[in-house]
Amino acid sequence: MGRRSLWESMRMSGRSIAGSPVRAALTALGVMIGVASVISLVALGRGAQEEVAGGLQQLGSNLLIVYSGEPRGTALVRTNTSNIRPTLTETDLETIRGLPADMITYVAPATTANAQLKYENRNTVSTVIGTTPEYTEVRNLRPAYGEFFSESDVDSRSSVVAIGMQVYRDLFAPGTDPVGQRIRVNGISFRVVGVMEEKGDAAQDNSVLIPITTYQRRVSGDSNYAMIAIQAASPDVMRPLQATIEEHLLRLHRLPSMESADFYVANQLDLLATVEGVAGTFTLMLASIAAISLVVGGVGIMNIMLVSVTERTREIGVRMALGARRRDIISQFLTEAVLIALAGGLIGIAIGVGGSWAVTEFARIASHITPISIVAAFGFSIFVGLFFGGYPAWRASRLDPIEALRYE
Amino acid sequence: MITMTDVSKEYRMGAETVHALAGVSLQIDGGDFVSIIGPSGSGKSTLMNIIGCLDTPTKGSYRLADEPVEGLSADRLAEVRNSAIGFVFQTFNLLPRLNALENVELPLVYAGVPSGERRATARELLDRVGLSDRVRHRPNELSGGQRQRVAIARALATKPRVLLADEPTGALDTRTGSEIMDLLEELNRDGTTLVLVTHEPELAERARQVIRLLDGRVA
Repeated sequence: MGRRSLWESMRMSGRSIAGSPVRAALTALGVMIGVASVISLVALGRGAQEEVAGGLQQLGSNLLIVYSGEPRGTALVRTNTSNIRPTLTETDLETIRGLPADMITYVAPATTANAQLKYENRNTVSTVIGTTPEYTEVRNLRPAYGEFFSESDVDSRSSVVAIGMQVYRDLFAPGTDPVGQRIRVNGISFRVVGVMEEKGDAAQDNSVLIPITTYQRRVSGDSNYAMIAIQAASPDVMRPLQATIEEHLLRLHRLPSMESADFYVANQLDLLATVEGVAGTFTLMLASIAAISLVVGGVGIMNIMLVSVTERTREIGVRMALGARRRDIISQFLTEAVLIALAGGLIGIAIGVGGSWAVTEFARIASHITPISIVAAFGFSIFVGLFFGGYPAWRASRLDPIEALRYE
Repeated sequence: MITMTDVSKEYRMGAETVHALAGVSLQIDGGDFVSIIGPSGSGKSTLMNIIGCLDTPTKGSYRLADEPVEGLSADRLAEVRNSAIGFVFQTFNLLPRLNALENVELPLVYAGVPSGERRATARELLDRVGLSDRVRHRPNELSGGQRQRVAIARALATKPRVLLADEPTGALDTRTGSEIMDLLEELNRDGTTLVLVTHEPELAERARQVIRLLDGRVA
């Protein structure tokens, strides 16, 4: 079919659509709703996916954590390790610290325990984390007020504490400056040096951090660490780094393989992959449900086109008598179906994009319109028009001109 | 122009075979005016459909302008109808959504004529049938006689050799009908072969040659 005859088909179809605009609009409605729901649901799915992945990045970047004990659950960060017997030694820590700088940026040991906190007459239950200043780098923590404790606090086993935002709220009256105040952690007096910024991670916000040396001396008496948190130099070295650490620690712990190991390494990449996989499946599911409505819209087009062919039997007969070939009739009806589907698709894209924007703007629900979903929706509406318009158009082209001319 | 030799057409109606045409032979020369007359059921519709290339004979041969028509594909037949035949129907068969000009243009669309040329030709033809002031009118805004004039202009659009008129005055009053007949005869005098299908003897008598059909045969 040449350009000219395509143009003619489009003009004819345009007229026929303009001849019954309400019917055409109702026919397009199905495709419109289908396309709008594909676009907006995919946008919502993508938005959720990115929000979850973004939340994971918040935990720290290029994060690897060596834990004592056996793997438990899928969580990357376990703020409370009080039920784990620490198996990671000072030698393990020094070995990891000794790894090349192009693999490792920061290393921080940590051990945690349940803690009863008290300030004046207020109490709260929290987690106490013994660690080093590097922990703030690895976990992307920053003081909101005051500051974090220093290396010299670690060296001198000072009784200083940096508290989470939730702990601050629970212990202190609003507006109180906590820096310099003394709180009791499991009955031991600590001076507050800072309040950490809120992370939105309940376990982190409800914890208090003290120097690891102070922890070992005054809280547990155990010189081993429950975990060692590591920031890798780049995402690319994370898997080799994990392998290197596993190899070193197995040797140091005199263990044959990871199956029998008394430690494990949690890798942020694995978790990201899992989360994105789940979110991707979710998005795909939403898209499939929406695609079903597109198919229903297509069936609507087929239905109306079949009615239209029957109604216009005589017109088809006249056109055939005047010299329309089968392909002329096919292209006329096919163009009509595609135009209706395309109009529905374009309006649907506008509604989907507008709807996603409105949901984000007014309901604060994350959504992300991807260009590919717009292109796919556009292409799919053309396909729906071709596919569901195809049979009615073929039926029209197979009419016997004599019968069609006689049709009342 | 038209040569039919021993043309038969059979239909199967359930278990029965109906012989709509049983061995019709006829000859129509270029520029001739021929009428085909016969009562209903005589086979004149079938004969007209075959002449108009809407249908093909079961047996026999049909040559239109020295080209054999039997055995042509549906699309080839459509092309022959487009270029060689102009149809004028009893009920006009104009497309209601198109105005007079667009209706006349329609055969030229299927002939692949560019839009500007089409428009010019259609205007000329509407002028020729006396409707130059009605080009933008839709069929329902025109009288019966005017509609038939639009239909005649449309039939002439591709300059066909044969004008095939099926009861062209059947839906018109006597005066308008006679004007339409005058127009058709005028076109015939200008060189177009005119085939008139009718059941009215006085109309048939205006032709130079009258073919009478009875029970699928030339009587």
